[in-house]
Amino acid sequence: MIEFKNVNKWFDKLHVLNDINLKIPKGEVLVICGPSGSGKSTLIRCINRLEKIQQGQIIVNDIPVHDKSTNLTKLRAEIGFVFQQFHLYPHMTVLQNVMLAPVNVKKLAKAKAEKIALEKLEQVGLTEKSAAYPAQLSGGQQQRVAIARGLVMSPEIMLFDEPTSALDPEMIGEVLDVMVNLVSEGMTMCVVTHEMGFAKKVADRVLFMDEGKIVEIGNPTDFFDNPQTDRAAEFISKILTH
Amino acid sequence: MLVDFNFRVILEYLPLFLTGLRSTFLIAVVSIILALITGIIACSCRISGIKIIKYPAIAYIEIIRSTPLLVQIYFLYFGLPTLGLRIPEIQTGILALMLNSGAYIAEIIRAGINSVDEGQIEAGVSSGLNYVQRMRLIILPQALGVTVPPLLGQNIVLVKDSALLSLISVMELTRCGQTMTSERFMPAEAFLTVAFFYMCIYFCLKALADWSQRKLIFREAY
Amino acid sequence: MISFYFGRLMEIFPFFLKGLWMTSKIAFISLVTCTLIGFILGIFRSSDSTILKRLVGVYVAFVRGTPFVVQIFIVFFILPEWGIQLEAFTAALLAMAIMGSAFICEIVAGGINSIPKGQWEAATSSGLNGIQKLRLVIIPQAMKVILPPLVGQYVLLIKDTSVVSVIGIMELTRVGWVTVVRIPEGLMVFTLVGFLYFIISYPLILLSNYLEKRMAA
Repeated sequence: MIEFKNVNKWFDKLHVLNDINLKIPKGEVLVICGPSGSGKSTLIRCINRLEKIQQGQIIVNDIPVHDKSTNLTKLRAEIGFVFQQFHLYPHMTVLQNVMLAPVNVKKLAKAKAEKIALEKLEQVGLTEKSAAYPAQLSGGQQQRVAIARGLVMSPEIMLFDEPTSALDPEMIGEVLDVMVNLVSEGMTMCVVTHEMGFAKKVADRVLFMDEGKIVEIGNPTDFFDNPQTDRAAEFISKILTH
Repeated sequence: MLVDFNFRVILEYLPLFLTGLRSTFLIAVVSIILALITGIIACSCRISGIKIIKYPAIAYIEIIRSTPLLVQIYFLYFGLPTLGLRIPEIQTGILALMLNSGAYIAEIIRAGINSVDEGQIEAGVSSGLNYVQRMRLIILPQALGVTVPPLLGQNIVLVKDSALLSLISVMELTRCGQTMTSERFMPAEAFLTVAFFYMCIYFCLKALADWSQRKLIFREAY
Repeated sequence: MISFYFGRLMEIFPFFLKGLWMTSKIAFISLVTCTLIGFILGIFRSSDSTILKRLVGVYVAFVRGTPFVVQIFIVFFILPEWGIQLEAFTAALLAMAIMGSAFICEIVAGGINSIPKGQWEAATSSGLNGIQKLRLVIIPQAMKVILPPLVGQYVLLIKDTSVVSVIGIMELTRVGWVTVVRIPEGLMVFTLVGFLYFIISYPLILLSNYLEKRMAA
């Protein structure tokens, strides 16, 4: 479903992605972790080409993402993206936020788009907030709206970039619950997160990155209980003790 | 000093002042509309990635901003005839005001667009919106809130700037004061009356700008 | 024909330099006085005294509400009627000072008001008096907010000196105006005038942009 082939990327001289090879099959939930600056956010931002790569290839559903001829609009419609800072549009209501892409990208009729949008809002448990503006919602609610906005185009893949890092602790649970529900529906997901409970519970594989390289990749039980490298062991002990 | 202030003469000249006021108002309205169009075009060129339109836009904006309006007015007033273009003073004046304010408006709009958070653009990109859609649906509506108050401020500036057209003998408000001064030699009466009318315009526009500041900067979101 | 006039223009170029010198002189003196008066008025404007605030407010409204050219006429024509004789040069400086200080006052007041109340309270708790609070605590922090628009205002003031040409002061714009009567090449003459203004004001515009970026970071 998603394949990285010898991907390299530099920010000026910083080698942020160093020869990445990775295959993510359909329906897999991949949790990506690693210290800050390790390249994990960049990795998933390349999948819908928010970032360009300098070498290699990324293939999503047989489409080479970084090919010039690729129809990005169509590709991005098949990939939902959830940001750490939510990035809801402050000048639109919750419902308008969610309806924006169906109406303008898919060119659906307003009524139809609204119906789908409301379904997605129901899925994240926020139907009653549809007329509110983002500023009137808590962080957890905003992030759930952002997830609904990602889901509304019926994507086959959902990418999450530290979806709970900007949230107060008491709001993390509600967002993770929504994500766990998505997993049970068989969604292909890449999640950059340090929520180890989430990783243990639903991840098929955990990927550990450091300095732009994939250091370790394996099933969650093996990774947490029996890390193969010192760096991974050190990282795990750090996030478990704090 | 105010004892011998001659209100009778002011009353006598009132019709003149009112025509002056009317023409200041008309000049301002026409110039503002033209300047807004110029500003939007200049800003679009300025922020585009296409060098051949970007650099001329930068040059235009920077040249206007670093030279006095009066020099720009004289440049057109004395310069256009040497190119064989003879147009009425009032049109020369409006042209100068349009070019001058257009450059400032371009920068105001650009600042508004830049004030929209980068993440908003990324969110739009991720939803598959194209450049025009992102501009129209996400960036411009948000930029508008920050742009409107300074744009109204620019209108205040433009009204005051239009006083300089009196120096190329356009018969607007300030020119009326000069006329009355030369005919009756009563500069105090003349220019304080002129000042009074400008103050009236100023307070109306200021009230509008303050109101928009309260209304349009919507829902302090972040 | 054009090259003939260009030659003439070069002949009288020293005349332009004199104008440039006059413009620089007026600009420099005005900037210094405007800054001084502007800071004092700005402190008044942001003070707790309602009367001071109101008075400065009226002054600022009058200046902001009327065109500079009208202000110059008022200073130059009306003051003598009231028994105050002024030379054109003094009148120009006075008009510049009145106008510039009002704008700078608003910038300074905005900067002072941007400092949170807690800073005043902390300074009061440390036992500082009013002037010390401003000088040691408030103004140094407010400078971050004041500086970029202040430099921007300097550019506007320098350009506004062109308007004092209307009362006959032989500065750059007046030189252009006088020249164009004799050398009827308006584009050429005022391109030269504009270029000389550009030389003075563009570095300040760049400085203002730079400060804005640095202070925002």
